[in-house]
Amino acid sequence: MSTTSLPPGPQQSLPPSLMSTLPGAYYTDPDVFALEQRRIFESMWFCAVRAADLPRPGAFKTVQVGTESILITRARDNSIRAFYNVCRHRGARISTEESGEVKRAFQCPYHAWTYDLDGRLVAAPNLTKMPDIDRVAYGLVNVAMREWLGYVWICLADEPPSFEEDVMGDVRTRLGDVAHIDNYDVAGLKVGRRIVYDVKANWKLIVENFMECYHCATIHPELTEVLPEFADGYAAQYYVGHGAEFGAEIQGFTVDGSSGLDRIPTVSQEQDRRYYAITIKPQVFVNLVPDHVIWHRMFPLAADRTVVECDWLYLPEVVDGGADIDRSVELFHRVNTQDFDACERCQPAMGSRTYADGGVLVPSEHHIGLFHDWLRGRLSD
Amino acid sequence: MIPACPLRSLPRGEAFRLDAEPPIAVFHTEDGQIYAIDDTCTHQDASLADGWLEGCEVECPLHASKFDLRTGQVDAPPAKLPVRTHRVVVEDGTIFVIPSEAPANLPPGVGVRPQGAA
Repeated sequence: MSTTSLPPGPQQSLPPSLMSTLPGAYYTDPDVFALEQRRIFESMWFCAVRAADLPRPGAFKTVQVGTESILITRARDNSIRAFYNVCRHRGARISTEESGEVKRAFQCPYHAWTYDLDGRLVAAPNLTKMPDIDRVAYGLVNVAMREWLGYVWICLADEPPSFEEDVMGDVRTRLGDVAHIDNYDVAGLKVGRRIVYDVKANWKLIVENFMECYHCATIHPELTEVLPEFADGYAAQYYVGHGAEFGAEIQGFTVDGSSGLDRIPTVSQEQDRRYYAITIKPQVFVNLVPDHVIWHRMFPLAADRTVVECDWLYLPEVVDGGADIDRSVELFHRVNTQDFDACERCQPAMGSRTYADGGVLVPSEHHIGLFHDWLRGRLSD
Repeated sequence: MIPACPLRSLPRGEAFRLDAEPPIAVFHTEDGQIYAIDDTCTHQDASLADGWLEGCEVECPLHASKFDLRTGQVDAPPAKLPVRTHRVVVEDGTIFVIPSEAPANLPPGVGVRPQGAA
């Protein structure tokens, strides 16, 4: 898109305590969002669905990735497959459902072109009269797929970037070592609760919010009670490998500090009674505590709208045993609601003339500048 | 008697489309039985050999009509007319089909080429 020019940076010089944010237009301009769809969401690894949400061959989910709808299913051999949700014949959406299950094939509802779970064209009216139609070449178009930590990650790029460098690299950068997340056995955990938030805010406001804790003492009273060091405004994401320690009186990561659920047995001694947060660019937040993992997937749908799916993951025996996870879930559900309210409060002001040059970051937020540098790098040629 | 395919090239659960006039579908069921019926669904032009074999029944891949492999009868609509069944003989490891002489029930727009025509 050669006609899009990115909004300029701020003109004025700032006192050393302050750094500028992105200009307001980055959060409102549909052209910027379109560029982000192409250069970020359709180019990078994107965490799409929880693998366990596809329990059987034929179970499927559809997800919006950038401008594309992607159909993700489990094939007969139990491998997970991802396809563009587009019929190869005349372009009808194969499925308009967010999830469902087919017995053995996906059939386009328009002319009944029929694809098996590997995406191969298996039947179509008069197909036997057209033996020159290659059933693989005219099958559903494949999307690159990786399964990691129990999630299905897909990449729409023709040549996907290194998963190890990008996705695992973000974990390494935060925790110091990928092995530190392996201790939580995230793939072996089970979804105890899932809450979907429809947030009327730009996805970058949500990322920036997650990266800093300057707001914590103000809008997260319950969280700051559990993690007293958050009152100093330095986020768990500020220092490499640092996890915020539970307060002395706190028994567990719950809304009232009461004891949590069964501890994940492989969590190390240093990780016990601590909270770790990771941002995996561009759309995943991971929160690690000794007895559960809170996993956010963002689905940016417009410059001013982002759907966030949040999973609370526990040991399978905790979920299957019907343990009461309400106080555990309630803590971060409140944090989510408090954060997304704050983001929705910012969104309308992003278009204000007073925010044309953006706002400022205080020292405990300066690391957000790295996110902005990364973003500008992705969007510039 | 038309040779279809070697028995060993047709595993249980699979089908072979014999390019006769009209085409014939040969099925090897999970129980080890071999059946032959007209390959073309009587509702719309689709290959039943591309369909889904379950027990002694095949489901058309397009609109889920079901046919009984033993009788050719319709077990599930939208097809209304049965397909023909054909006798099957296995000799020296080869599957042979003896085509039925009854008239075929072909869907609209699908005709049978006259014998010998190109």
